[in-house]
Amino acid sequence: MTKKYETEAPGYTMTTVMEEAARCLLCHDAPCSKACPADTDPARFIRSVRFNNVKGAAETIRENNALGAICARVCPTEKYCELACSRTGIDCPIDIGGIQRYVTDFEQAAKMDILKQGKSNGHHIAIVGSGPAGLQVATTMLTKGYAVDIYEKAEKAGGYLTYGIPEYRLPNDIVEYEIKRIVNLGANIHYNTTVGKDIMMDELKANNDAVVIAVGASESKVLPMFADNENVETAVGFLARVKEAKGNITDLPENAVVVGGGDVAMDVATTLRRLNVKNVTDMAYEEFDEFKASKKELKGTREAGVTIVDGYVPTAVNGNEVTFKHRHIDSEMTIKSDKIILAVGQRVNAANLGITIDKNEEVPYAGYGTADPKVFVTGDIAQGDKTVVWAVRKGKEVAEQMDKMIMGSAKEADLVGGNE
Amino acid sequence: MIKKDLSVDFLGVHFENPFLLSSSPVGNCYEMCAKAFDEGWAGVAFKTIGPKHFKVDEVSPRFDELTKEGTPFVGFKNMEQIAEHSLEDNLHDLKKLKENYPTKIIIASIMGTNEQDWEELAQLVTEAKADMIEMNLSCPQMTSHEMGSDVGTNPELVKKYCAAVRRGTDLPILAKMTPNITDMVPAAKASLDGGADGIATINTVKSIANLDIDRKTALPTVDGKGSISGFSGKAVKPIALRFIQQLREAAGMEQLPISGIGGIETWQDAAEFLLLGATTLQVTTSVMQYGYRIVEDMKNGLMHYMEEQGVDHLSDIIGVANKSIVPVESLNRDYKVYPKIDWDKCIGCGRCYISCFDGAHQAIQWNEEARRPTVDTDKCVGCHLCNLVCPVGAISTGEVVMKPGREGNPEDIKVESPRLTHF
Ligand SMILES: Cc1cc2nc3c(=O)[nH]c(=O)nc-3n(C[C@H](O)[C@H](O)[C@H](O)COP(=O)(O)OP(=O)(O)OC[C@H]3O[C@@H](n4cnc5c(N)ncnc54)[C@H](O)[C@@H]3O)c2cc1C
Ligand SMILES: Cc1cc2nc3c(=O)[nH]c(=O)nc-3n(C[C@H](O)[C@H](O)[C@H](O)COP(=O)(O)O)c2cc1C
Ligand code: SF4
Ligand code: SF4
Ligand code: SF4
Repeated sequence: MTKKYETEAPGYTMTTVMEEAARCLLCHDAPCSKACPADTDPARFIRSVRFNNVKGAAETIRENNALGAICARVCPTEKYCELACSRTGIDCPIDIGGIQRYVTDFEQAAKMDILKQGKSNGHHIAIVGSGPAGLQVATTMLTKGYAVDIYEKAEKAGGYLTYGIPEYRLPNDIVEYEIKRIVNLGANIHYNTTVGKDIMMDELKANNDAVVIAVGASESKVLPMFADNENVETAVGFLARVKEAKGNITDLPENAVVVGGGDVAMDVATTLRRLNVKNVTDMAYEEFDEFKASKKELKGTREAGVTIVDGYVPTAVNGNEVTFKHRHIDSEMTIKSDKIILAVGQRVNAANLGITIDKNEEVPYAGYGTADPKVFVTGDIAQGDKTVVWAVRKGKEVAEQMDKMIMGSAKEADLVGGNE
Repeated sequence: MIKKDLSVDFLGVHFENPFLLSSSPVGNCYEMCAKAFDEGWAGVAFKTIGPKHFKVDEVSPRFDELTKEGTPFVGFKNMEQIAEHSLEDNLHDLKKLKENYPTKIIIASIMGTNEQDWEELAQLVTEAKADMIEMNLSCPQMTSHEMGSDVGTNPELVKKYCAAVRRGTDLPILAKMTPNITDMVPAAKASLDGGADGIATINTVKSIANLDIDRKTALPTVDGKGSISGFSGKAVKPIALRFIQQLREAAGMEQLPISGIGGIETWQDAAEFLLLGATTLQVTTSVMQYGYRIVEDMKNGLMHYMEEQGVDHLSDIIGVANKSIVPVESLNRDYKVYPKIDWDKCIGCGRCYISCFDGAHQAIQWNEEARRPTVDTDKCVGCHLCNLVCPVGAISTGEVVMKPGREGNPEDIKVESPRLTHF
C-alpha cells in the first residue's frame, strides 16, 4: 500500500533515541559539527542526549539554528554532517537528522522558550521575503535587540517551507510552530505585501537602518514549448496547492508525467503517488550516474512506485502528448498523459528591487552586499548552496554583517551629533 | 542557555557548583586539574598523597570493565593504589593550583600508616594551602594492611587517625568511607568522634568483575594471576545511595554533611545524591571514560531540574528525599495497580508478553494476528515488569484496585510518577 500524503515517518522514542545516540562515537573535534553549514553543532547535542540532557540539547540546536525542527526533517544530511560522520568507518553514519527531530519535538512538547528578544537598541531593519533565510535574519536581529519588519508577498510566511516541501517530509504544523516562535520573539510580518509593487524599496530604506532582500527563487521556470498548454502545471504551483489543501484536492489525474530530475521532481512524483495517482512517470534530463536528486529522495520516489526514465529531454508537445529524445542514444518516446508537471527549476523575480540577478538565479558576485550600502541580499539569491540549512547560514552571516554596519555607523553618528 | 546559581556551602567552604573530581587519576597533577577547572569543575579531591616511606608500586595492566549488551563501562574495576608522583611534587601542585585558581576548591586526600604519618601529612597539606582534607580510609587494594579499607572497617583505628589529623590541621576534615562493610554508621560516628567534620562516600567496592576464562583467573591478569579489587562507575550508584540514606537515617546524623561519590555520570545521578543529603558530588569513572567535558551537561541539566522544581538554591533540595524513604514494612501493601497498554503506541514487539510469561505471572495474552497484548487482571499481580521492558513506553500505570478485604479508596493512592512517563 502506498503511504498517505499527510503521514510523516515515525520518529524516535526515548529508548530508541538513546540507542542511536549510544552509537555515536562522541568524537573529539567532531567532523559532523564541522560539516554543518549552519553550525548547529550535532556532536554537542548528541552528547547531551547521551547524557540524558535533552533540554540542553534543545538549547544547543535552537541557539544555533532558528529553524532547528525544520532542518531536522529536510536537511540533506547525506551531503553535510552525515557525510562527515566517523561512524561510517564502522558501519553507517549516525542518524543526526533523526536525533535532532527527537530533540526539537521534545522542545515543543516541553514548551521550552529558549531564545529571548534582546533589549531594544533603537534600530530597525526590514526583510523582504519570509522564507528560511528571512526568518533566520529576523531571529538573529531580534535577539540582538533590533526591531524587525518582514514583508511577504504571500498569504502565509515560510516561503518554500510552507509552499513547497511536501507534508509527508515537513508537516505544516511544524513550520507554523517555528514561525510562531519567531513572531513571539517580536517579528512583525506584513502579509500579502509585494515589495516593488505594494510598497517600494525607497520607502523601506527611508524607514529602516538596513533592508535585506531574501526573495528566493519563488517562480517556476517553464520551457517555451509548454507555454499556454492547459495540461501543464508547474511543480511548485502544484506542490503549493496540495500542501495548502493538506492533500485534499479533487482534480487529480489518472496518470501523470513529471519532467525533471532534481529533488523538486522527486517531491512532485512521490506526492502524486501518495495521492493515489496510479501511473506516474518521471522523465529526467540527467542519467543516473549524474543524477541531481539526493539519494534519499530518489530512494523514496522509487519506493513510492514511480517509473523513472533517465537521460531524456522533451523535444515536442502536442496537447497531452509529449515526445522525448535520449540525450546520447538514438531513441525517442512519446507519452500521452492526463497531466504534465514541469519541474525544470525555479527563477527569481526581483522586479523593482534594484538588484541584478544572473542566469544562475543569484547575484553575480559572492557575499551579501549590494551597490547600496543599506541594502543586503541573502538566501537562495546569494551565492552558495540552495538549501534550507544554507539559507540559515546565510541568514546568520548577513545579520552579523548588517549589525556591524549599523553599529559602526551608529557609533560614527554618536561621535558627530552626540544626540540620541 | 539557562543560568542558575549552583553554588553550595559545605563545611564552611563556598563551592561555585557541587561537582568535584574525586581522588583518583583524574586529579593527578597540576595540568589535569587546571584543565578540569577551565571546563567548569568547582574543585578537586587531589589524588591521595601517602607518606614518604610508603613506596607505591603498581601493576600493569590495572583496569577492567563490566559491559552489558552494547554498553561499555557499566562498571569499572581498578587495581591502583595512591599517588605515584613524589610527595614534593604533589605538595607543589596543590600550592600552585590554589595560587592560580583561588576560587576553586582544593581538597587534599591523604593516607598514612600510623598516627605520626597522618598528623604530618595533615600539616604538610595545610601548609600547601589546601582548603580541606579528605582522609582516605577506604582504598580496598593497598599492598599494606595498615592502610585503606582495612583501616576504614575498624572504628577504633578510624577514630585514632581522625584525631591525629585533627591535631595536624585546623582545616575542615572529610573521612572517606569504604562500602565494604555491612553498616557504615559505626565507622562514620567514630570519625566524627575523632574530629572529622563530614563524610565522603563511597570508595570502591571489592570485586571481581570478570574472569579470563582461558587463563582461569580474575581480570585484569597480571603475569597470569588476578586479584580482588575496587569496583566503581554506574553499577555502584545504588550501593552509594543506600549507604548515604542509612547515614542520614541514623539518630543524631540527620544533618550529616556528606560528599557523595559513586557512579555519578549525568545530572540525574547528581540530583539523586543531592536529594539524599549529599552537598558536594565527586566523580571519577565517568571522567575516565568521557573526559572532563561531561560536567557541562551535569551543570546545565541540573539547572533545568532546578527550574522545573521551582528552586533557586541547591540547598532547597539537599536531603529532601530522606524522610520519604521508609523501612519496607511501612509501605502500603493494600492495593495493586494494573498496567495500562496503549495500543496506538504499541509496535507489537511482544517483549511484554515474553517477560510476563517467563519472568512474572503469565498475565499477558498475546493476539498473534493483531500482534497486540492484553492484560488478564485475574492473573496480573501489578509488578510492572512489562512496563520496564516495553521499548516504546506503551505501558503505564492504569487502574488501582484494593486487595480483597482491604480498606481504602483507590483514588487516594499515588501511583503516577511524572518522570516515568516516557516522552
Ligand atoms: C519543492 C521544493 C523542495 C525542497 N526541498 C528541500 C529540502 O528537502 N531540503 C532543503 O534544504 N532545501 C529544499 N528546497 C530548497 C529550499 O526550500 C530553499 O533553498 C529555501 O527555501 C531558500 O530560502 P529563501 O529564504 O532564500 O527563499 P524562499 O523559501 O524561496 O522564500 C522567499 C520568500 O520571499 C517571498 N517573496 C518573493 N518575492 C517577494 C517580494 N517581491 N516581496 C515580498 N516577498 C517576496 C516569497 O513569497 C517567499 O515567501 C526545496 C525547494 C523546493 C521548491
Ligand atoms: C583508577 C582509580 C583510582 C582511584 N584512586 C583513589 C585514590 O587514590 N584515593 C581515593 O580516595 N579514592 C580513589 N579511587 C576511588 C574514587 O575516588 C571513587 O571513590 C570511586 O571510584 C567511586 O566513584 P566513581 O564511581 O565516580 O568512580 C580511585 C578510583 C579509580 C577508578
Ligand atoms: S561524527 Fe558521527 S560519530 Fe562522531 S560525534 Fe559526530 S555523529 Fe557522533
Ligand atoms: S504487571 Fe507484572 S503480572 Fe501484570 S501484566 Fe505486567 S508483568 Fe505481568
Ligand atoms: S513491549 Fe510495548 S511495544 Fe512491545 S508489544 Fe508490549 S506494549 Fe507493544
